[in-house]
Amino acid sequence: MERRLTDQTESSDAMQAPASRSVYIAPSLPAALDALDEGGAAAAPFAGGTWIMRAPIRHEPLKSLYVAIGKIPELRAIKVDADAVEVGAAVTHAALAATLAELAEFDVLTAAASRSANPAIRTMATIGGNLATTAFAAADCVPALLCLDADVEIASRGGPERTSLERFLTMRSTLAPGRLLHRIIVPRRGRRTVHARLPLRQAGDYPTAIVSLAVSLDEAGHVRTARVAVGSVEPVARRWQRLEHALVGHPLNAAKATDAAAELAGEFTGRDSPDVPAWYRVRVLPALVRRAVAALGSGAVGDEHGH
Amino acid sequence: MNMGIDLTVNGDHLTSTSDPVTPLVDVLREEFHLTGAKPVCREGFCGACMVLIDGDPTPSCLVPAALANGCDIRTVEGLAANGGLNPIQAALEACDAVQCGMCFPGMVVSLTHLVSTRPDATREDIRAALTGNICRCTGYERIIEAALLALATA
Ligand SMILES: Cc1cc2nc3c(=O)[nH]c(=O)nc-3n(C[C@H](O)[C@H](O)[C@H](O)COP(=O)(O)OP(=O)(O)OC[C@H]3O[C@@H](n4cnc5c(N)ncnc54)[C@H](O)[C@@H]3O)c2cc1C
Ligand code: FES
Ligand code: FES
Repeated sequence: MERRLTDQTESSDAMQAPASRSVYIAPSLPAALDALDEGGAAAAPFAGGTWIMRAPIRHEPLKSLYVAIGKIPELRAIKVDADAVEVGAAVTHAALAATLAELAEFDVLTAAASRSANPAIRTMATIGGNLATTAFAAADCVPALLCLDADVEIASRGGPERTSLERFLTMRSTLAPGRLLHRIIVPRRGRRTVHARLPLRQAGDYPTAIVSLAVSLDEAGHVRTARVAVGSVEPVARRWQRLEHALVGHPLNAAKATDAAAELAGEFTGRDSPDVPAWYRVRVLPALVRRAVAALGSGAVGDEHGH
Repeated sequence: MNMGIDLTVNGDHLTSTSDPVTPLVDVLREEFHLTGAKPVCREGFCGACMVLIDGDPTPSCLVPAALANGCDIRTVEGLAANGGLNPIQAALEACDAVQCGMCFPGMVVSLTHLVSTRPDATREDIRAALTGNICRCTGYERIIEAALLALATA
């Protein structure tokens, strides 16, 4: 196998130095898996790089081998079938938003992909990087995909393994070396979906809190199924099952949903950060629920672009 | 072993010998002495390090040198048209849009791309396109006026 390997024994920046670092640009999935397997704990996938390249700012060491996966065709593919959409892990936020734009049932995911970060970052950052970054609590695609009941497929030399996104979130930090998020599988259930996020400033910021919602209605207009996922409030996004139960069986009503959310929000323990206190992240949840439910009536929701 | 990283920067074929994970902005500034792109936040938030990579605006603080191998890179130093100002550069000057200038290399890169790829861009489109270019001085209004002028006259 021919590998394009670039490395050098001395770092130009002594501050960041491990003695030797290399980047291997994998041409195919098997080649990436081989390199990751051989590299063991010293190696990691490099997708968009928008998290990895900020490691020095977080005072984290860089790995000695990065396996770049952004050029692998099957990781960049999006397949839209009648009953599911499969998204390669190296699909960028911009590519995902463009492909899903016409599919209303995925509004939640289109919004997550097209409102996060800024335009240049959206052409770099990948869906796989968004789901795999354990330390990133504000990931927009995580709650969006949780409310869509997504599964993920993990690839390794030993073969593929499929699991729910919910389970992946519990195991991602201990993913054995040599394993790679291959694709995300999102079932098509014709639900109405919406993504409500609150950044501190209007544009370019991480969201303080996120509410992603997917519902199906019966003929009488009552909620038959509901999925609510909350991101950025706690260290890992999760479903809000008690609010789901409160919505089912009733007509979609923004005021009532807000009241239910206010009653149930106490189950969240907000995470503290220098820019946003823990209590604030929890306090804004009812308002985000109101915006999400109201938008399912009107079609438009979320934060605006622009300064 | 260092195979070198081959880049085309503003039309010149150059080879970098830097560590493969070195941010491209540092290669441009420290190895090639192109100091237009500025590493201000090194986080992808401010846009002061924006360059065009194969035609797309990209924060060069987040691109490792190895992944720029074989790419066509344009920095603000390479955007002038035939030795003169390009339409957005001329419009920014005409609108007296520049204050301290820290953000401007990145602004010019992002807006050069906008003007050449989206001739029908509206004021809102311009604002959205600049969400990754932070300016602490101008309040953006003159920059947006300049972009509208460049679009109208391009
Ligand atoms: C200025 C800025 C603003 C942002 N704002 C937002 C925002 O509002 N909302 C939002 O959701 N995101 C936002 N992001 C993006 C987010 O912070 C992460 O940087 C991004 O999701 C990481 O994706 P990546 O493809 O660049 O990952 P990388 O940096 O390449 O990798 C990140 C981690 O994931 C691992 N990894 C990557 N791909 C795989 C894979 N296929 N399998 C296993 N492991 C993998 C890597 O090894 C690494 O540990 C922002 C980023 C920036 C720079
Ligand atoms: S220095 Fe690159 S975006 Fe700020
Ligand atoms: S002119 Fe000073 S930051 Fe924009």
